Amino acid sequence: MLTKELIGLISTDSGLSKKETEQLLAATTAVMRENLMAGKTIQLQGLGSLEVKERKERTIVHPKTGKRTLAPSKKQVAFKPVNNIKDTLKNI
Amino acid sequence: MADKLSWTELRRLIARRAGVSEKSANAFLNSLNTQIVEALKRDKQVKVNGLGTFKLQAVSPRKSVNVTTGEDITIAGYNKIAFSSEAGVKELVEKNSTISGQPSDANTIDPLQKLSAQAEEIVDLLGDLGQSPNKPEEQKEEPVKEPSVVNIQPSEEAVEEPKEESAVPETPASPEKPKRPKRPAKRKEAAAEPEKTVEPVAEPKEEPVVETVVEPAPEPVAEPIAEPISEPEMPAEPVQPEKPKKKRHFWRDTLICVVILLMILVIAFFFFRDKISDMIHSMVEENTQELVVKEQPNAPSAINMQPSEEAVEEPVKEPSAVSIQPSEEAVEEPAEAEEIIYTQWMKTETITKGSRLAWIAKKYYGAKVYWPYLYDANKDHLDNPNMIKIGTPIRVPKLTKLQRDTTNAQTMAAIERLRIEAEGKMR
Repeated sequence: MLTKELIGLISTDSGLSKKETEQLLAATTAVMRENLMAGKTIQLQGLGSLEVKERKERTIVHPKTGKRTLAPSKKQVAFKPVNNIKDTLKNI
Repeated sequence: MADKLSWTELRRLIARRAGVSEKSANAFLNSLNTQIVEALKRDKQVKVNGLGTFKLQAVSPRKSVNVTTGEDITIAGYNKIAFSSEAGVKELVEKNSTISGQPSDANTIDPLQKLSAQAEEIVDLLGDLGQSPNKPEEQKEEPVKEPSVVNIQPSEEAVEEPKEESAVPETPASPEKPKRPKRPAKRKEAAAEPEKTVEPVAEPKEEPVVETVVEPAPEPVAEPIAEPISEPEMPAEPVQPEKPKKKRHFWRDTLICVVILLMILVIAFFFFRDKISDMIHSMVEENTQELVVKEQPNAPSAINMQPSEEAVEEPVKEPSAVSIQPSEEAVEEPAEAEEIIYTQWMKTETITKGSRLAWIAKKYYGAKVYWPYLYDANKDHLDNPNMIKIGTPIRVPKLTKLQRDTTNAQTMAAIERLRIEAEGKMR
């Protein structure tokens, strides 16, 4: 599903206008981005949490040449769903 | 780092940012969450612009063993939620984390990591290069061993120094290293060659600092036999860090050059192909001219015949009749010529589905107009040039320059005649 459809659904669900929803979504993502940048974990009630995780450096092998190189460590945004959501989605 | 942004805080921030009440922000967030879950259930994927994509990924069932009983069990498949952040967000997070993440730790660790990474790369390069070019290997070896060997070297040097230094002045004139910018280096080799008995040869100068310290490293490792080989490369050492890069550039450049050259060749080939084929054709013509010469006895005879007829008729008939006669000759002559000239064959093409003479003509002669020649050359086994059975071999004759000359009226007339003949067989 794309953002546009999501906005439509949210606006019908929450009773906000589409424009408002769009603005709110933009604000939300902006706030989330900023906080993720600061390394904060964002908790979304009833959904899960978004957090920045560090992936450790590791050696990777070039599949063609068989060369081993070191992939540098990096930060990643990870999503951790709340348990009941995880369970409901487990078996669809 | 482990700070949490709670729900209420998030709500407040969003409300402030968007300029709406906290209540509506709350309603929005709630429905955002529920809609994301609903959408995941429905579409298995939700894209939120400016943040990322939530995806429902299926984990397939897998086999495992019950640890206590040792029985085989299958772990059922299930779905899990995966989130991948947008490219922009990824960058932001990455950039920020390197700046404010753990600055002190990162700084201390990074150089070490870099070193180890370099070391690994170098080791790999070594493995790849094998022993063929000594140059790059040794240059790369050095930085690796640097740290460990540096400490040991001075002691050995200290012991052997006096000997060597005494030896050094004797042979500094060795003309081998004219490029050598460094005196210590010169001495080293000079020393190395005459006195292989004294192994660590290269040590005379720790004083000249880093470079000399670097140089000794490979020598104890590489044995005396290897030294003479390795020494010529030494002068390049000061440039160590740049060399491998340069080498890569060099390879890249040569590759580009080769590619460009190839392209030029290909273009030239296509450009000159026509000329070359013309040349070949002219050569062929020479051959065929011999044939033509052989023919000529025929042709002239025809011509001779004609004149005789003319000669007979002329006096009888009026000048108008004479003017007709030559035209007949003109028609007959090329006809004879062509039938004989199909002695050289370019290829035998087999008719495939959808193929036709015109296409073959275009393929071999460059234009469809020449198809009557193909018909003419194959008319012994072609009934209807419009309906050729699949698999029929078509012999493609070589055409002379004259035969391909569309500006020549005679040639065109010959082609036209053949075409009419062929079309007469159609239907």
